[in-house]
Amino acid sequence: MKWLLIITFIFVIMIIALSVSEQYKDKYNFYVNLKLFLEKFKLNLAFKQEKLDNFLNSIKSKKQFRLFIDEYKRYLETNELDLSKIQILEQDEIAELKEIITSVGRLDQKGELEQTECFLKRIEPKLSKANEDMTKLCPMIIKLSLLFAVGLAILLI
Amino acid sequence: MLKDYLDHEMYKHIVSAFNFNDINEIRMRVNQNLIVVVKNKKYFVKDDNGDFIKISKFDLENFIRRASQNSLYAYNDSIINGYITLPKGIRVGLSGEVVSENGQVMTIKNFSSLSIRIPHIIKNCSLPVYDFLVKGGDVKNTLIVSSPGAGKTTFLRDLIFQFYTHNFSKNVLLVDERNEITNMNDSEISYDLGCFVDIYTNCSKSFAFKNGIRSMRPEIIVVDELDLEKDLAGLINAMNSGVTVIATIHAKDINQLKRKTGFDEILNQRYFQRFVVLNEDNGPGTLEGVYDERLNYIFSGGL
Repeated sequence: MKWLLIITFIFVIMIIALSVSEQYKDKYNFYVNLKLFLEKFKLNLAFKQEKLDNFLNSIKSKKQFRLFIDEYKRYLETNELDLSKIQILEQDEIAELKEIITSVGRLDQKGELEQTECFLKRIEPKLSKANEDMTKLCPMIIKLSLLFAVGLAILLI
Repeated sequence: MLKDYLDHEMYKHIVSAFNFNDINEIRMRVNQNLIVVVKNKKYFVKDDNGDFIKISKFDLENFIRRASQNSLYAYNDSIINGYITLPKGIRVGLSGEVVSENGQVMTIKNFSSLSIRIPHIIKNCSLPVYDFLVKGGDVKNTLIVSSPGAGKTTFLRDLIFQFYTHNFSKNVLLVDERNEITNMNDSEISYDLGCFVDIYTNCSKSFAFKNGIRSMRPEIIVVDELDLEKDLAGLINAMNSGVTVIATIHAKDINQLKRKTGFDEILNQRYFQRFVVLNEDNGPGTLEGVYDERLNYIFSGGL
């Protein structure tokens, strides 16, 4: 019975550790997708010039970035925007996304290209930070959690 | 239709004050009253409190954002020419700060006003003059003359349809520069023009006069809003290639037409055999009369 309890305890701690580290991965993936999205939009501006709703429909995404795309589409239809569903982001990051969503599509091709370039430059440090967090913090959280669980197990024994 | 583009409240007040089918134009200018033009008369629109509705910069920007489907960049080619065309041939004229580079217009920004022109189908409006334009299986080179908003496009659209209803089976090449005659979307047009019409949309008249004749082998070319300074060479070339041209041009009456640059040559060479003059005296599309190649009055619109 005691052993079963210890194993369950370690298991729960590891699950929590994995889900916390998953958030860092999600954030990194979100910024990678956002960068790809803006790069693709730049190509769209240069060649196809597809309208924004069609362009958004052509974006294949999952998880947190899907929420962003869905909210973007909803904004185009209703003019209302709520990005709080994307829980991995901080307030300042949400504010920046709001700026992207409300600014895109209001300029001519040249202006849009310059603006998109500017957005890309602005998300670059965030992407680097998310990458750094993911590569540093994820293994650390898992190792620390494992250490903590094993330590606690020793104490319980 | 405009419901999707206008502010909900604004639309509600407009349709409660006017029959939407009678409206010819809606004008929005930043910090000025909203104006609705019905049968050539201008009206201000009141809100629930009885105050005139004033247009803010936000209202204007919102309208343009919706009209461009949040994708202004996709409409830049038409914005450069000062308009956006909405479904059903509704034409939104834009004014604001024109951005130029090396003398070439790049775009218009900081929009300050817009004019929304709503087209109407007036069935058989060209019928009274049909026999003056078509004789013995041939169509005469025809110039339709009127001031802006007086019904040239409606007349032109109906005339093309009349060819079809009169079993006139000549190939017609319609050059719809602003996509307002046909409102073509995904190869489908909003109006019935019969089965002998080929259509170029969003293309310049010079392209159609040159390439259209070569590729589509038309017997009649129909163009809207001729600019004699720009289009005269192409027009003459088309007429000398054995193609009949039906065109429209901006002028209030024959006297104004005579004063246009390039018209002397048209008149001297008798390029056009018929001039149909429209005015707005009894609403857009009122027929003033038909003139022959020497500008002699041959038919009165009954005024």
